[in-house]
Amino acid sequence: MNGSTLRGSRLHASLPRALLGVAALWLAVLSGSAQAIPAFNRQTGQNCVACHAGGQFPELTPYGRLFKLTGYTIGERTVPISAMAVASVSKVANTSKSDDPAADFEKNGNPILATASLLVGGKVTDNIGAFLQVTYDPYATHAEDGSFRGHSNADNIDIRYADRFIGEQRDLIFGFSANNNPSVSDPWNTAAAWMQYVPVPSPTGSRFIDGNAPYPGYGAGGNIAGLTAYAFLNKTFYAEIGGYATSKGVLSFMSSGIADADTTKLRGVNPYWRLAYNREWGPHSLMLGTSGMIARVYDDPLNTSDPASLHRYTDLAIDAQYQYLLDPHSVTAQFVYTNNRHRLPASAANQSVPFVDSNGNALPTTNAVDTNNVARAKLTYVYQARYGGSIGVFSLSGTHDTAYLTAGLEPGSLTINPDPESSAPSVRAVDGNRTGSPSTHGVTLEAFWTPIQYLRVGAQYTAYGRFNGARTNYDGFGRNASDNNTLFLYTWLAY
Amino acid sequence: MRYATLVLIAATSALALGCANPERSRDLANPKISATTLAQQVCSNCHGLTGIAVSPNFPNLAGQTEEYVVAQLTGFKSHGRHDPAGFEYMWGLSRSLTEPQIKGLAAYYARQAPALQETEGDRRRVDAGRSIFESGVAAKGVPACAGCHGAKGQGNATFPRLAGQHADYVVKQLVVFQRTDERPEGVIMKTVAHELTRQDIDDVATFVQMLPGL
Repeated sequence: MNGSTLRGSRLHASLPRALLGVAALWLAVLSGSAQAIPAFNRQTGQNCVACHAGGQFPELTPYGRLFKLTGYTIGERTVPISAMAVASVSKVANTSKSDDPAADFEKNGNPILATASLLVGGKVTDNIGAFLQVTYDPYATHAEDGSFRGHSNADNIDIRYADRFIGEQRDLIFGFSANNNPSVSDPWNTAAAWMQYVPVPSPTGSRFIDGNAPYPGYGAGGNIAGLTAYAFLNKTFYAEIGGYATSKGVLSFMSSGIADADTTKLRGVNPYWRLAYNREWGPHSLMLGTSGMIARVYDDPLNTSDPASLHRYTDLAIDAQYQYLLDPHSVTAQFVYTNNRHRLPASAANQSVPFVDSNGNALPTTNAVDTNNVARAKLTYVYQARYGGSIGVFSLSGTHDTAYLTAGLEPGSLTINPDPESSAPSVRAVDGNRTGSPSTHGVTLEAFWTPIQYLRVGAQYTAYGRFNGARTNYDGFGRNASDNNTLFLYTWLAY
Repeated sequence: MRYATLVLIAATSALALGCANPERSRDLANPKISATTLAQQVCSNCHGLTGIAVSPNFPNLAGQTEEYVVAQLTGFKSHGRHDPAGFEYMWGLSRSLTEPQIKGLAAYYARQAPALQETEGDRRRVDAGRSIFESGVAAKGVPACAGCHGAKGQGNATFPRLAGQHADYVVKQLVVFQRTDERPEGVIMKTVAHELTRQDIDDVATFVQMLPGL
């Protein structure tokens, strides 16, 4: 339905041994002393607020951006492990308009341990540092008896080499990042990999929280392997260029723990680029940027033999971020807009659909090319790095495509019916579509409290004005966009 | 696979190249890293390459007296100075600095040309600030700032340079002195700041920020 599938926190599979191996290797390399606080915080000895604007993760302050761009190498080597966990409860406005509420809204209204992450991060040498996240999802899959089964997998990975030449004439930071998700290497929070409300829990009961609403993303997805080169000149001009390929061979740890069938398989090396202008004055900072990617993705991750089965994506984005950071106030305004063009493989394009229009004429065949546009804006205020609130708006629009239809008028009777091929087991799927439009928009409000820097408690409400092309009856069986409005309460611990 | 190999080779060479780089290191626990390197690679992120901080959240250090910077870094390191901004940002960064590094950092900033701020602001407030700075507030027993910090706010030994300091930072510190014991090394300021109103604090901070341009 949207770009939310492009973020890595809810992917599933078994224990990522390779990643733990990297962690073990790291520990072996280390010689620093041990103290018990989160990894980067322990490395620099600074509080979270030094690097995270208003203490809200993952958004970075100007200093946090430099910490990242200089390869996480400021400070001293320490034990580079920390962990975080999220407990949450979410409640969707209407669970009755579904043929199988138990399946569509599992865990709705039930407090759950939503996710847990192990983070390995920090300085390795004067020029090398890394950020590795392994996420455990207790609700990743279902066992045969219907119970949930948890899994761990590689989440965000960013391993860097960086150097900095600074003098009166110029300040040049440059480096390389080996990472598994286009833009995860970016220091601004409007980058696709970072511009999201966090935390995000996994189970289907939370399918309409903001974290699952449309987000900008790259058609290439996450869990791939990339190398980018970047430079930041005079804290003003930022450029990054790189290529991404399938995570395999020695780089398979980039998608460690993710089932082969769920891994994005790319053909060859796929380009990613990023340019940004940055300006800081007084307590203000401003970034204006653009980024993009061209990717060729195999239709079937398990069969990469046929070049004719490729999806071709072109993503272009513009983004802007403004921060005002002056104790005790922290104000952030963010905006991002992406245009995504998707050319389907011939075998998936121009397919007939089993529905007709109101005159009984056959509907157009499915598209060969889809485009969609996602816009996101968010305004956040945090007082004393303790009390915060935000408002965010999201809007996805795109070409009509009969491929999106899950229900429509049946030839003959001219009554609404579900797609006979894709409806099982639920006739009225909550992510149904009767319009052929992907259009979805809404607003999210959040209030949070950070009593101590290791703990955040928040309440978030997401309201939909339109869902899958309609305000009312978007599925063809009476479900309205507002039925998906969701309240989400969470407690987030990081240590 | 070829791409994977390329990435691996790049990573390995990076590792080989990156083992030690004392000229451009950001290692805060290595006594061999020079103070100048630390000032450029680490301190500059907030305080500016030449000790002039872009954000008023962070003090200007350009032209600051050596004795004052040494006392502050030592205070951060020993946790003697424990105002929030101090421990949030500086405890960790200073924890492994050696005495020669601390002295070197102080010397580095002392030799930088002090900040010259734009002389804008409400004339009446600037004049009120000047009056407090130069003459104190006799009725309340508040001494003149100039008595210890110098006639031009240039500082003197452990009495810091105030001229050209960000007003927001000066306000924050005066409030810390006035209402807390979080900066024991500056305990003398507790008495000095005790009788100042919030308006007095704002005025005097506005005035010193404009020095020595006034």
